Amino acid sequence: MTARPLLIVDTGNPTPPYEQLRRQLAELIQSTALRPGDRLPPLRQLAADLGLAIGTVARAYRELESAGLVRSRRGGGTHVTAAAPSLSDSERQRLLHHHAKAFVQQATLLGADEQQILGAISQALAT
Amino acid sequence: MGCGVEGLLVLVIVLLAILVGVALVAWRAHSRSPRAVPVRTAAVPAAAARRTANWRWAGVITGLVAGGVAAGSGALGRGLMLAGPVFGLCVLAGVVAGEISVRPAGGPTRTAVVEVRRVRDYVPHGLAQAVLAAAAVLLALLTVTTATAGPDDLGRGRVLLSRCGPGLLEGHSPWPGSFYSVPLAAMVATGLIVAGAALRVVIRRARTGADPDVVAADDALRQRAAWTITGACGILTALPLAGVCLVSAGALLSFSCHPAWWTYAGWALLALLIPTLALLAWCAAVLLAPARAVTAALPAR
Repeated sequence: MTARPLLIVDTGNPTPPYEQLRRQLAELIQSTALRPGDRLPPLRQLAADLGLAIGTVARAYRELESAGLVRSRRGGGTHVTAAAPSLSDSERQRLLHHHAKAFVQQATLLGADEQQILGAISQALAT
Repeated sequence: MGCGVEGLLVLVIVLLAILVGVALVAWRAHSRSPRAVPVRTAAVPAAAARRTANWRWAGVITGLVAGGVAAGSGALGRGLMLAGPVFGLCVLAGVVAGEISVRPAGGPTRTAVVEVRRVRDYVPHGLAQAVLAAAAVLLALLTVTTATAGPDDLGRGRVLLSRCGPGLLEGHSPWPGSFYSVPLAAMVATGLIVAGAALRVVIRRARTGADPDVVAADDALRQRAAWTITGACGILTALPLAGVCLVSAGALLSFSCHPAWWTYAGWALLALLIPTLALLAWCAAVLLAPARAVTAALPAR
């Protein structure tokens, strides 16, 4: 089963929610989890699901459009562009390392040891 | 003329009794059907399921009361014509209130699935097509009956007239002329527009969580709401259609002198009653059936 990608916004994080969204969507597009032509969730739907203002989601979409990753059409939704650049292997590796490092850092702050961290990753992979 | 209205009332009561009987049979068959959603019980938004069900039933009960009141009011059976749309609108209001009452998962960390929720993913296709077909037939029928109606003694378009000879006119009422068709068309159109808006509310409301089990249960709730909306649309379209068929057929077959094709048209309208009643039973079963897909997923407590 192919799991549908998730977006996570932490309102306690100093990074503004629109930037968190922009970054995650950009990564999903560049990693081809979202392929050219795929439609992004409608603004209102995503804003409701995340409990954010529509303007916040709209700003993230605008930034993605400025970067050439998506194209919005009035009444037609927002789609991933055909020319969206995909990640190189080295860039993909770098991002994976970056996320793993961030996770380990958070887990360590919670007091988890190595076994617990590996267990949590295994559990996440299994779901 | 008064006798005609009384006869119509008796016929409608008999038809409603048949409808309830068929709906009960359909309900039993429906509730036995293996439509359970494979959802683990622990992850289900049980509170959301309870709230939406409570609102839905409140809408159905309010609709029955309001429809009954509407049926008993209004001059010359006009209220009876509007009972179906009034019932449907109350059910739609109940569904919308239930959907609005569903609260998204709070907390500082929010998650959302990257997905595009579409109305067609939740609406029952066969039933929706049948309801749209019934609405189209109702519109066509009302157009013809309005165009052919004549004025009664007070100038209201509710009589069908036939010329039996020089200076000799035979008239029968009730006939679904503008006196009935204009308010009826307005109510049905309002109901369909409200249904469209309600479907948008259903797909746009926030998810109760992003865990796959919660998403599956949440989808089951949305599907139940979309089915109820389609069923309500079916009632608010098919019940007046049955009434228009019955009244028109009654008028067409009552004339002592009329063109031969009126007899065929009368019987054709009576024949149209059969699929219309089947659609009514289908919609009633959808409205009354327990939300098996959701209840199967509810916690045991």
